[in-house]
Amino acid sequence: MRSLLKTVVLTLLLLLASSFAVFAGIRLSGGDVTAARLPASATAADRQLFRHQMGLDQPIFKQYSTYMGDLFRGDLGNSLTNNAKISALAVDKIKNSLILGATSMLLVFGIGIPLGMIASLKRNSWVDTGITSASVAGMAVPNFWLALIAIYLFSTRLGWLPSAGQGGIKYLVLPAFVLSAEGIALTVRMTRSAMLDNLNQDFVRTLRAAGLSERRIYFKHVLRNSMLPIISLAGLRVGQIVGYALVVETIFGWPGVGQILVNAVLRRDYPVVQFFALLLVLVVTLGNLAASIGYTLANPKLRK
Amino acid sequence: MDTPLLDIHDLSIGLRGDGVGYDIVRNVSMSLFPTEILAIVGESGCGKSLTALSVLALHASPPLHVTSGSIMYDGRDLTKVSASQMRALRGAEIAMVFQDPMSALDPMFTAGTLLTSAVQAHYKVRYDVAKNRALEALADAGIEDPRRRFAEYPFQLSGGMAQRVMIALALVNDPKILIADEPTTALDVTVQAQILDRLKQLKAERGMSIILITHNLGVVASVADRMVVMYAGEVVESGTVEEVLATPQHPYTNGLLGAVPRLNSDATLVPIMGRVPQPNDLPPGCSFADRCGRVLDVCRAERPQLAVRRNSEVRCYNPVG
Repeated sequence: MRSLLKTVVLTLLLLLASSFAVFAGIRLSGGDVTAARLPASATAADRQLFRHQMGLDQPIFKQYSTYMGDLFRGDLGNSLTNNAKISALAVDKIKNSLILGATSMLLVFGIGIPLGMIASLKRNSWVDTGITSASVAGMAVPNFWLALIAIYLFSTRLGWLPSAGQGGIKYLVLPAFVLSAEGIALTVRMTRSAMLDNLNQDFVRTLRAAGLSERRIYFKHVLRNSMLPIISLAGLRVGQIVGYALVVETIFGWPGVGQILVNAVLRRDYPVVQFFALLLVLVVTLGNLAASIGYTLANPKLRK
Repeated sequence: MDTPLLDIHDLSIGLRGDGVGYDIVRNVSMSLFPTEILAIVGESGCGKSLTALSVLALHASPPLHVTSGSIMYDGRDLTKVSASQMRALRGAEIAMVFQDPMSALDPMFTAGTLLTSAVQAHYKVRYDVAKNRALEALADAGIEDPRRRFAEYPFQLSGGMAQRVMIALALVNDPKILIADEPTTALDVTVQAQILDRLKQLKAERGMSIILITHNLGVVASVADRMVVMYAGEVVESGTVEEVLATPQHPYTNGLLGAVPRLNSDATLVPIMGRVPQPNDLPPGCSFADRCGRVLDVCRAERPQLAVRRNSEVRCYNPVG
């Protein structure tokens, strides 16, 4: 419990540090914000005036403190490119990304853990070989390539599923599977190896000697022990999904945070990048925090 | 004497796999009689644990298989019963206690959960009935505060307490036979003595029959009634503890006793020279021949058989005394 408190404090510090890193990073990455907003004919003086109006000519720490002050008052700022209020466009994008991200997380564990268990139960059989080979492929194939193949196969060739856009569960299938593919593959392998490892522990022999059924030993005792490493790395899976969402949302035209963030980076739309990048950092750190809490609760040694 | 409760006859257990095949336990015979403590003694790797594990089919199979012989219990050959029949026996008729209590208990569950699961694995009883049995078993195992230990996880227990929990786990379904595989090796000396006393009391109070596996001759002398000495996968000598310890007949037993330090004697320790042969590289004759001071020509040529001599059984052409 004490370690959990430490984790919470560290998480808050991490968020603060990331907010500055994001803020400074986008400003130091070069490019010109006026190019997107002002017409090509704008003079150097016009551009300078625009920067002054937006407060972009002030020292970076001054800009940062102004931004954080506004943020804590609930003012997310406006887009530099079309002056729209960020808070207005954020809600829908966040909702869409949450739908995609949560579905992917469900797939990662809902498919990964059972497949890993089946592979460990049928170890060294063709079932195991099949699952293990598929998971190697799942880890090796980059998701943008997988996305293109999936679109080609299921949309262009077979015409079963739409290739892009949003509206109903049909549109969710391809992006969610592509987004979760690597996570599923990793979870399969981790579950399989943890189950096999725990099956060889001394305590399994003790339970057998006490007359417990193989099914009970497997599904209660070995499984419970094997979930610890998977819970502890669930935070990494969140980070992975968030990172890949940028690519996958863009490819599938999924109107979420990833898509808007990629566009904003390309246009040097500082306020938009800042807010959404910080949001992603928040999601990843909260994911890790949740994993730490879950691990503490699942492990009697830490819980007590 | 009565008829044996458990009768292991001519048991061999071998490793079988890709292109390899040799026996690790060879032609082992021993009997456990009602209400006695039988000690199996030998160095690590001599096959004593494997022999005991095979009684409940707990050896790693594959690659290990029973290649010959029988283990008779209650009119049945345990090497031939089905997996479900074996499961019904485990813990209910024959129970086992293992060496390292810390790793032998599932770390994710309380002692109480392990004990009640063991009861409910055999009897369809309500949880509170199972819990009462569990508390009784904890008390029987010599635990003074059963309710507290019931709620504790293995990591909260000391080594000795964890071993008592494991003994409780073995006792909870009131088995006829208890097999204890080095139950005190991982424990402090004072705790060892308490655990051994508890085993003796179980024999006296409940009429249990116990197989005690150990490499410690002091333990054998203090608790066992009869003993079996194993070397390189076979029984070399067996008899009553008094007989074997006072007048060892096999040169290996004799050597073992010479290597035990004694407080009240100035005699120097005499090690047994040489090394135990590997099970895949056994000599054609007696497996102890290369290390034996009494070796004859016949010892190297032909494997000796177990033969009755005085009141013991010895596998030797040239026994001591």
